[in-house]
Amino acid sequence: MKPIYFKILILASIVSLACTTKVSEWVLLNTLPNQYTLIYFYKNSLNEAIVKQNELLGKDITPANIHFKSIERKDIEQPYYGLYYGNRFFSRYNEYKDLRGLTTSPLREKIAAEIMSGKLCVLLYLTTDSKTKDEKGLQVIQEALKSSPFKNIISVAELSRNDKEESHFISLLLNVEDDLKRINEPMLFGVFGRFKALEPLLGKGITEENIKLMIDFLTADCSCLIKDDLPGMDILFTEKWDNPATALVNKILDDNPSLLHH
Amino acid sequence: MDQDTLTYDSLSNRPLPKWLTDQRDGLTTIQPVKKEMKADNSLSVSFTVTGAIIFLVITVLTIVILRKKKNHSL
Repeated sequence: MKPIYFKILILASIVSLACTTKVSEWVLLNTLPNQYTLIYFYKNSLNEAIVKQNELLGKDITPANIHFKSIERKDIEQPYYGLYYGNRFFSRYNEYKDLRGLTTSPLREKIAAEIMSGKLCVLLYLTTDSKTKDEKGLQVIQEALKSSPFKNIISVAELSRNDKEESHFISLLLNVEDDLKRINEPMLFGVFGRFKALEPLLGKGITEENIKLMIDFLTADCSCLIKDDLPGMDILFTEKWDNPATALVNKILDDNPSLLHH
Repeated sequence: MDQDTLTYDSLSNRPLPKWLTDQRDGLTTIQPVKKEMKADNSLSVSFTVTGAIIFLVITVLTIVILRKKKNHSL
């Protein structure tokens, strides 16, 4: 075989493999998380203590998907920190201590570890502390997973929206869509890739059918249509996402070709 | 994020996430090329071309034969 034909054959194989990578795996391996911006707004000048404090803060949050900068504004009474995602304003922090745990938290670390271990996704159930509502949704999630062939590669994490330790994480989740803060219903976020959270299923929308569609979305071939318009929002986190374990979904699909869908 | 501009009057009317409706409706997969019905003109084109060729061949042969005949008569 002429070398040129051999090269074309290899190239074609690589291209065909790229098109059959599953959405969850493709996003983890190829998409960089979108950046947040933290801005310190101040009036007049910065004193030395604040400069040092902000230098420390900048170093502290640098490993995460966030930039930090200071901007002078004449129209403010008090200095404050503002968190932005793209052009969207997310949160205001009046004091330095309010930023503690902004870029990482125990649950975020646990979820990232699950994703890095090759799991398909983590279903994050954000509860309301209303027992009736929460238990109903949880039952549906458990039923949906029981019948799913992917149940062993999907983790479920529960989080109360009033959890103080995870307050920054909860705030980020409730900013995935701009009306979520006003809705006091249980929410189910599909977390995958480099901490990308899909727009949630909420309240009565948490159904077995919708959970199955979420799993279908994550186990489908990553078409260009998905690559060009990835849904969801990236959560602020410090993980480097280097060397994730092989995606476990591939073994399940190889063993059960009938589960393959495009 | 894409649904930020959507409005709804009650929670039960809140639109489902776009990724979910796209997945349900099969819009996230590569869509097959849509086949459209077109008028089939191949038969009439075939007749016209065949007729034209026959006409051309007959014309050429007629001219050739007539010329040969003319040369013989001289």
